[in-house]
Amino acid sequence: MRWLAGAGCILLLAGCKGDSLPRARVLPGEDNPHAQDNECKDAPKDPGRVTLHRLNRAEYDATVRDLLGDTTRPARDFPTDDHGYGFDNNADVLSMSPLLLEKYSTAAEKLVETAWSNGHLRTCALDAVNPEPCARDILSRFARRAWRRPVTTEEVDRLLRALTLARQQGDPPEVGVKLALRSVLVSPHFLFRVEKDPEPGATTPRRLDDFELASRLSYFLWSSMPDEVLLQAAEQGKLRTPEELEAQVRRMLADPKAQALVSNFAGQWLFTRALESAEPDPTLYGAFNEPLRKAMRQETELVFQEFITGDHKLRDLMDVPFTYVNDVLATHYGLPPPGSATPKRVDLAGHPERQGIFGHGSLLTVTSNPDRTSPVQRGVWVLEQLLCSAPPPPPPNVEGLPPPVNPHMTMKERMAMHRSLPQCQGCHLMMDPLGLALENYDPIGRWRLNEVSGAPVDATGDLPDGTVLNGGADMRRFVKDDPKLPACLTEHLLTYALGRGMADEDRCAVKEMAATAEASGGRLSDYILAIVLSDHFTSRRGAPEAQSP
Amino acid sequence: MNKKLSRRTLLRGAGALMALPLLERMVVPGTARAAEALPTAKRLAVFYVPNGIHMAKWTPSGTGATWELTPTLQPLAPVKSDVLVISGLANDAGRPDGDGHHAAGTAALLSCTKAFKTEGTDFHAGISMDQVIANHLAQQKATRYPSLELGNDAGRGIGNCDSGYACPYANNISWAGPRTPMAKEARPKAVFDRLFAGVDPGTTQAQVAKRRAYGLSIIDFVREDATALQKQLGTTDRRKLDEYFTSVRDLEKQVDAMGQQGPACGVQVSPGEDEDPRTKTKAMMDLIVLAFQCDLTRVATFMMANARSNKVYGFLGLSGGHHAYSHHQFVQSNFDALARIDRWEVEQYAYLVRQLKELKDATGASLLDSSLVYFTSEIEDGNAHIHRNLPVLLAGKGGGTVATDRHLRAPGVPIANLYISMMRAMGVPNVTSFGADGTGELVGFGG
Repeated sequence: MRWLAGAGCILLLAGCKGDSLPRARVLPGEDNPHAQDNECKDAPKDPGRVTLHRLNRAEYDATVRDLLGDTTRPARDFPTDDHGYGFDNNADVLSMSPLLLEKYSTAAEKLVETAWSNGHLRTCALDAVNPEPCARDILSRFARRAWRRPVTTEEVDRLLRALTLARQQGDPPEVGVKLALRSVLVSPHFLFRVEKDPEPGATTPRRLDDFELASRLSYFLWSSMPDEVLLQAAEQGKLRTPEELEAQVRRMLADPKAQALVSNFAGQWLFTRALESAEPDPTLYGAFNEPLRKAMRQETELVFQEFITGDHKLRDLMDVPFTYVNDVLATHYGLPPPGSATPKRVDLAGHPERQGIFGHGSLLTVTSNPDRTSPVQRGVWVLEQLLCSAPPPPPPNVEGLPPPVNPHMTMKERMAMHRSLPQCQGCHLMMDPLGLALENYDPIGRWRLNEVSGAPVDATGDLPDGTVLNGGADMRRFVKDDPKLPACLTEHLLTYALGRGMADEDRCAVKEMAATAEASGGRLSDYILAIVLSDHFTSRRGAPEAQSP
Repeated sequence: MNKKLSRRTLLRGAGALMALPLLERMVVPGTARAAEALPTAKRLAVFYVPNGIHMAKWTPSGTGATWELTPTLQPLAPVKSDVLVISGLANDAGRPDGDGHHAAGTAALLSCTKAFKTEGTDFHAGISMDQVIANHLAQQKATRYPSLELGNDAGRGIGNCDSGYACPYANNISWAGPRTPMAKEARPKAVFDRLFAGVDPGTTQAQVAKRRAYGLSIIDFVREDATALQKQLGTTDRRKLDEYFTSVRDLEKQVDAMGQQGPACGVQVSPGEDEDPRTKTKAMMDLIVLAFQCDLTRVATFMMANARSNKVYGFLGLSGGHHAYSHHQFVQSNFDALARIDRWEVEQYAYLVRQLKELKDATGASLLDSSLVYFTSEIEDGNAHIHRNLPVLLAGKGGGTVATDRHLRAPGVPIANLYISMMRAMGVPNVTSFGADGTGELVGFGG
C-alpha cells in the first residue's frame, strides 16, 4: 500500500533514475486524499487473512529457547528466510522446502536429546513395565506448549504409538518418548502458526480463537511462543476483553523478550541489519572497522529499545535528544568520549547534529554507496520507511549520476545536472532534497564540512513547493511534522505484526489505528495497542476459492 | 549409534579448509561404498553470476571450431577443449513488467517462465530445468539428495529486493515448482555437516534398520497431522501445506534410502566460516565436487551472489559495488571494473571444471566427460538490462551429447531450447517444450 498524498507527487512523471535506487516500488495510480476519506466512512470492515505462517529462523530459535531452554540457535544452520514487504516474517514468502524440513528433522533430534539429558522434559519417572501414564503426562504437557494450544486425547494417543514401536524394536520406553517428542517438533502444528478456517470459503470475518490470538501476540512482541501466563489467559478465555489484552501487551513489553522487536522489527524497518554487510571503501573510509560497525548497531538498537517501554512519542525518533555511544563511536561523531568501551547513554543537548536517527551512523552508512554518499538512497529511505510515498522506479536505459564535470562540483551540483533531464526530474524533486539535507554526514556517518573533493558541502534541499531544507535539523523537523508519518509507522508495524503485506483494502484501517495511537499519546506502545486491539489483529476471514494459475 | 564419536571421527582435522587436492584426500575403509568406483552417470552443475557480463571482453571473435579465448575467458585455457561457448541466446521470459530486471531475470534464469510481479502475495514463476532433471534422477533413487542448492549470499535481509519483485525471485534460481523456490545454503560448513556429519561408518545393518523405522514413524505421524489440518484451511494455506507434503515425501525418500548409500568416499575436512568471497567460493566449489565424488547428488546449482548484488570486490582492487559498476554509463573505468569481476568469476568456474576433469569414474573416464557444467547470468548488459545475447558457457561432454571446443552462435534462439537439449542430454525423456518459449532442441548443441 503506497499512497501519495503530497500534492507535488501527483504531478510526477512516471520515471526517474537514481544513482542506485535500492528499493523502488510500483505504485497504485493517482491518489486523492479527500475522496479516500469519504471512502473510509463507509468502508467495509475487512481484517484480511494471513497465510499459514512458517516460523522464520528468529522465531524458531526464540521458540526452542523458551520451549526447551536451548540457546544454541539451531536455525543458524537453516537456509536464509526470504523476506517480503520489508520483513522476513512475511508468511507469503516463508516457503517450506525439502532442505528446510530435513534441517528441522535434524534439529529436532538434537534438541530433544539435549533437553532430555538435561532433564528438562522428564516431569515423572518412566516405569519400565507401565510407562504409559508418565509418557502421557510428558507428551501432553510438551505438545500443549510446543503447539501453543490444548492437545486432544486422540493426539496424545497417536504420540504414544512411538512407545509401542520402541518396544517392538527392543528399546526402553524413553526411546519411544523421545521419538514422540521429535515428532512434535517436526509436526506442522509446531513449524507453522496455524489459524484454521472452519469455513475456508467464508468471507465473513471471524474472531480468532484464544490460542490463535495468544500466538499472534507473542510472535508479534517476542518473536516467540506464548509463555505460561499468556497460555493460561487464553485457556481461561480472558483474551476476549480489551482490558486483558492491554494488560498482556504491557506485561509482555516489559519482559526482556520484547528485545525481539529491536532486532527483528527495528532491525529491518530502520535497515540496521544491512550494516552487517556494509562495505565502505577502505581507501576513502578506512576509519570504518568492526568495533565501529558494532557500536553503530548498538546505538540504534539501544535508542529504539528505550522507545519500547519509555515515555517517548514514536515520532520523537526523528530528533530524540539522547543517544548511546562508546568511546569509539563518540570519537567518530566528535562527541566527548564517555570513558567506556560499552555504550553509554549521553545527552545531546549541545549536539543537535546527532539528535534523532538521521544522525545515526548505522542509517547513514547503509544508505550510502561504498565510495560516496547517495542522497537518493537516503531520500528514498525516508520516503519509503517513514512517509510511505516511494517514488516509482527509474525508467530503463536512463543514465545514473553523471561524473563530475570539474573535480570541485558538489554532490548537489552533480545531482542538479542529472535532474535536468526531463525524464528524471519528477521523482527527484521529492527524493533529492531530503537526502541532500543530510550531506553534512559522510558515507560512514561522520560530520563533514567539505566533500572528498574539497568542495564545501551544500546541505540545502529545495522542496517542490519552494521550501528550502537547510541541513539535517530542518529535514528532521519536516519529516516529523509530515501528516503521513503516523499512518506510515502504523503500516510498517502492522505489516510486521501480521506477517503480511498491506493492500489498498487496508488503508482505512491503518488510518484509524494511526489516529487511535496518536490520540492515546503516540508512543510505540500506543501504536502496538492500537494494532493489537484492532479487528485486523483479532480477526481473520476465509477466501473464495482462487484460481490457481 | 554413537553420533558424537562418529562425528569426531569424520571431522578429524575440522576447522581447516578443504585445501587438499582431491586425489590426496584420505579414504577411510569401512563405508558402504568406499571401495566402489564412482558409477558412470550424468551430472549437472549450474554456476550463476549476477549483474550480467561486459560482453566486449567476453565474446570470442571466431565461430565454430575456430575460436580463441578472449581476455575474460582466458582462465578456461587449461580446459578450452572441454568448453562450448554459446552466444546470442535469449530469455524473453526474464523481462519484467516495468522495472525489476534482475529479479525477473533470475526467476526465469532456469525456468524460462515469467515471474508474477508481486512483493510477496501469490508469488509464482515456474519449475527450473535443474529440478526437472533432479526429479528424473530421483525416480531412479540414484543418490541421497536429488539436488544441492548453494549460494554465497545470505542476503541483506532488508527492504525490497528488486522494484516490486518478491525476494524469492531474486534469491533463487532453482524452483521445484511455480511457488516453491529451493532454498539454498549459504554456509559451506552447514553444507558439509549436512553431507557428512552423522554418518557413522561403523553402524550395523540392524542399527540402520531401526533408525529407518524410527525416522519413518515420525514421517507417518506428521503426515497424518498435515492431512487432518488440510481440511480446515483455505486455498493459500493449503498451498503452503502442499509445500510441506512435498518436503515430507522427499524426507521420506531420504530416510527410506538410509544405509543403502553412505557416502562413497571417506573422510573429508570441514570448511571453516569465512566470508571472504575467494575462500567461500572455493569451499562451495569443493563441496559440489565432493558431493559428486561421493555420489551424494548429481545435480547442483550455485549462485555467486543474489540478483542485483552490490558486493564490493575489494580484493580485485575495486571499491564500488558490482551492481553500481554494471550501470556502467559507458564509462571506461566501469567497463574495466566489470571485466575484472567477470574474469574472476570465470576463474572460479574454471576451477570447478578443472576439478571435475580430474575425477575419474569406474571406467577411468573423466567425470567431466559425462557432466554438464553450465555458466550464465540473468542479463547480458547491466546498464540496459538486456535479456538477449546472454553470456553462456557449457563445459563437459554430457556423455557424448555435447560437441565442445566451439563457439556456437544462436542469435535470438530461446535459451529454453538449450535447456531442452541439456535435459535430454541428462536423460530426461520426451522433452519437446519448456518454459514460455522452448520449442525443441538447440540446433548445433551436439555439433
